Amino acid sequence: MDADTELRLAIYRHIAANAVAPSVTQMSRALGRSAAEIRAAYQRLYARRVLVLQDDGESIRMAPPFSGVETQHRVRVGDKEYFANCAWDALGVPAALHAAGQVSSRCEQSLEPLSIRVGRDGPEPVPCVIHFAVPAAHWWDDIVYT
Amino acid sequence: MSFFRSEDMVDQWCAARGRPRRPLVSLEQLWRLALAWYENRLSPEARRPGPDEMRRIFAGIGLHGPFWDPQADRFG
Repeated sequence: MDADTELRLAIYRHIAANAVAPSVTQMSRALGRSAAEIRAAYQRLYARRVLVLQDDGESIRMAPPFSGVETQHRVRVGDKEYFANCAWDALGVPAALHAAGQVSSRCEQSLEPLSIRVGRDGPEPVPCVIHFAVPAAHWWDDIVYT
Repeated sequence: MSFFRSEDMVDQWCAARGRPRRPLVSLEQLWRLALAWYENRLSPEARRPGPDEMRRIFAGIGLHGPFWDPQADRFG
């Protein structure tokens, strides 16, 4: 396994276990690599569209489907609550964790709360639709907006 | 991409922002997208689907046309 894959797995496993994104310092200690090496690897993972970083260049904004910051899409799995980046990623959290979950989000227009139970075989029916505002070719033009 | 309670809510949201109405996806379709993108995300072999694979995934759940083409240039 190459070093960037090892880092990617460590990031995702940290988020799965803790429901928060790890810091550069935490990854440096966990993998025995310098902070500079971790920062450089973050940039490579960003270039490969694995991570999205915050403006400081080292805090994780997105490790899809997980969000490194609070969002309107909360997903409870077991005793942990994760934040997801969008509607797609809200279902992506239970899919990635191979576990049942409870999505708590909202209707983007009415702001009415929207709750979706997601079993191992998928979500229970809920009256809702998902609107994709951005064409696939432009998703990464501004992935935070997408 | 966002959740809406109904198509009417989508129309209101688009009208309020002067944005075009884009495709709607059902919860079941979204689940299949979630599995395709993220089911193996925590494994060493995980990777994002390439353009051809994306087209196959979208077509396989009934999402057709240039909107879903990751290399299309007909949408601004």
